[in-house]
Amino acid sequence: MNISFSNLLDQFPGALAQGLIWGILAIGVYLTYKVLDIADLTVDGSFCTGGAVFVVLLTRGTNLWIALACAFLAGALAGLCTGAFHVFFGISALLAGILTQIGLWAVNLMIMGKPNLSLNVGRYPLLVSLRYLQEVIKGERPFYSSPLFIVSLFILALIALLYWFFGTEFGTGIRATGSNIKMAKAQGIHTDFAKIFGLMLSNGLVALSGALLTQYQGFADINMGRGAIIIGLAAVIIGEALLAWLFRNFALRLASSVIGALIYFLVIQTVLWLRLDPNYLKLLTAVVVAVFLAIPHWKSRVLQLPVRRNGGKDHA
Amino acid sequence: MRRALCIFAVLLMISVIVISTGCAAQNGAANPTEGSGQFYLVGISQLIQHGALDAATQGFKDALTEKLGDRVSFDFQNAQGDPNTCASIANGFVASKVDLIMANATAALQAAATATADIPILGTSITEYGVALGIENFQGTVGGNVSGTSDLAPLDQQAAMFGELFPDLSSVGLLYCSGEANSLYQIQTIQGLLEADGYTTRLYPFTDSNDLSSITLAAVGEVDALYVPTDNTVASNTGIIDNICRPARIPVITGEKDTCAGCGVATLSIDYYDLGYATGEMAYRVLTGQAAIADMPVEYAPRFSKMYNREICEELGLVMPSEYEAITD
Amino acid sequence: MLDIIQVNKTFNRNTVNENKALTSLSLSLNDGDFVTVIGGNGSGKSTMLNAVAGVLSVDSGQIFIDENEVTSLAEHRRAPYIGRVFQDPMMGTAASMSIEENLALARRRGQRRGLRWGLPKRDRDFYREKLKELELGLEDRLTVKTGLLSGGQRQALTLLMATLKKPRLLLLDEHTAALDPKTARTVLDLTEKMVARHAITTLMVTHNMKDAITLGNRLVMFHAGRIVIDVKGESKKELTVEKLLSMFEKISAFEDFDDKLLLS
Repeated sequence: MNISFSNLLDQFPGALAQGLIWGILAIGVYLTYKVLDIADLTVDGSFCTGGAVFVVLLTRGTNLWIALACAFLAGALAGLCTGAFHVFFGISALLAGILTQIGLWAVNLMIMGKPNLSLNVGRYPLLVSLRYLQEVIKGERPFYSSPLFIVSLFILALIALLYWFFGTEFGTGIRATGSNIKMAKAQGIHTDFAKIFGLMLSNGLVALSGALLTQYQGFADINMGRGAIIIGLAAVIIGEALLAWLFRNFALRLASSVIGALIYFLVIQTVLWLRLDPNYLKLLTAVVVAVFLAIPHWKSRVLQLPVRRNGGKDHA
Repeated sequence: MRRALCIFAVLLMISVIVISTGCAAQNGAANPTEGSGQFYLVGISQLIQHGALDAATQGFKDALTEKLGDRVSFDFQNAQGDPNTCASIANGFVASKVDLIMANATAALQAAATATADIPILGTSITEYGVALGIENFQGTVGGNVSGTSDLAPLDQQAAMFGELFPDLSSVGLLYCSGEANSLYQIQTIQGLLEADGYTTRLYPFTDSNDLSSITLAAVGEVDALYVPTDNTVASNTGIIDNICRPARIPVITGEKDTCAGCGVATLSIDYYDLGYATGEMAYRVLTGQAAIADMPVEYAPRFSKMYNREICEELGLVMPSEYEAITD
Repeated sequence: MLDIIQVNKTFNRNTVNENKALTSLSLSLNDGDFVTVIGGNGSGKSTMLNAVAGVLSVDSGQIFIDENEVTSLAEHRRAPYIGRVFQDPMMGTAASMSIEENLALARRRGQRRGLRWGLPKRDRDFYREKLKELELGLEDRLTVKTGLLSGGQRQALTLLMATLKKPRLLLLDEHTAALDPKTARTVLDLTEKMVARHAITTLMVTHNMKDAITLGNRLVMFHAGRIVIDVKGESKKELTVEKLLSMFEKISAFEDFDDKLLLS
């Protein structure tokens, strides 16, 4: 049995790398859950779609960046589906997401042709890989090819881009739609379009995250999206509970979701290291998320501070 | 002031990441390799819990314990069916510098093979290594740091069981989980063999345990017999299948023994314990340097046996040929 | 500039809860009119406002704003013409966004929102000036999230947002009903000031008969989905609450009689 703390620290880089990759998914979930106020379950399907599209394209010889872009677009299409169900069919956003996710199972299988596709790190030039991480640690690879470095850069660029976008007139309109849809309509904002666009952007990011994960772990699997929304929500909630008091700025809010994902995967790695019965892993996730959700509530009870009320949220 | 605080927080986050990378690099260099010399640490990464995989793990551990006694210790991790957790487990093993990794099931193998090109990896309960690792023109030896055992039972002999036991039936339904890496390959092979024997076949893929019962219900109404392959989800849910097939008096031939014990009439089975044991023997040769893993071809189950489920056969009024053994446990 | 022609709106048609909210309603406003609208609960006043704004669609009839037919236009497409203040003070502003962001939104009401930066620095001074007119001290709190403001402050802000870009028509739906008397007074004074300064055509629904009489140049009373009293100009100036009430009693007594009698 190998329980030494330095051993746990050795495992942290891998956990952090996973946390960073899932952090992109967390940003996508933040956009729908916090900005648009929609619980979007499409994520469980679009995460795998991104991975599936990427692996299929890359193994057929497509350029890596083009394959990534296509993965993003595939996710955006999934978001478009959900948006269309919601806006044109009048289905509630929650159900619309579930419908898309159910449909995506078959679509993903069609794309992959089978439930599991290998992405052999020895055969293809990948952007990130668990193998590269180990090699950087051993000193066999330069620092800048470490997934930690690359994905961090990715995320910084992404956050900067999103910060700019949501500060534009159009982006502000999307934020207003999520904050107070009645008022947004009265201000002439095309709220239907705003919602659809938000869903497309979010699921595009989720698919991108899936594409990066398939590179990192070396395969795309039809089951890789299961429970992705739970992890995304957990990351957003943990990040918010811990850092919302400090981070008011939109860009930093996005960063706090990424930090939430990092914490989540550090916890998972620690649970594995502690040799706890892995059956308890899912139970632990539920408990951790519940506790973090309760923090603002307990804070307000203890300190008698008013919990921030958001008025005007009477949309489905 | 607030802006300064925010910028500071961002820089802090960046530095944490950078430092931890550096720290780990230091740790990696400074720590003496654990488990070197006479004492071995073996990591076992299992995708999901069910009879066959558990048996393979047990066989593996028994083989190594017999050969090495106290000099081997195991680090057993179970991914609870989540392929993404396999990467975390592989990461843990590599960071712990285990001497060998045993990967039980496809996703576990893939994650381990990605994680390291140095630590020897032995897979088990994997049907097709070339497919699992994306190797073109797979000739039987993976090479590099990977080898292992395959649970491929001779599908042609399994298909022949239909002709042997149920010559009068005309249609066979093929029930399998569409999310399982190895099932489609088995199903497609069996389908070809059965149709060559003159049976009409229909495919019944299901997504997970939630729609298993409705798919099975549809199947028993449309075909004379069912075949289920070596499939993790089927193996975990044999009760559902049995509750539908037995009252409908539809016989089920299964791909492996534990599934047969749960819901099947007969099977041409490998013993997963034996398979695990064979993997353990391979591990012993690799650990003690008697063989180079790069040269070891994938091995198959040492023996196959025709087995039948006594209880279900009695209830359906079927009499098995004498060469079939009754499943006991 | 606003023409409502023979508009009908029925809720829950052919069910037990059928409610004929608007029955052959017709109303015409001229440029610069400030019309106060009163009536009992369920008389159709809010329904009319919502129909004009596009929140509800009408069963039959037409609505014109400045000769443009808007009857079938969606709510956000009518927004270029219309500024609104709702009864619920929480409804008019986006709670999670700051004062200046809300004002920036209102600034572009009805215009295409592209990829230009939503909050250019030079607009800040403009917003500060406008907020000073409210005399609520909000000009120093531009970056505060509106969710932290009081109901009265939010309502005043909503009013400012509705008039920031001069609307062709201002719709006020009992916008002081949810405020305490002092704040209601403040908001009402502000309303009067802004409407007068910019000469905005206004439709104000109110429960307060006194306010209805003192404000505006025209008073309209709803009953059972149609307009039963329409007083303008000199006759409005001479109205008192008692006169208004007796007029109403006379009319409800003759509820079953036809239009000629009602309008005499």
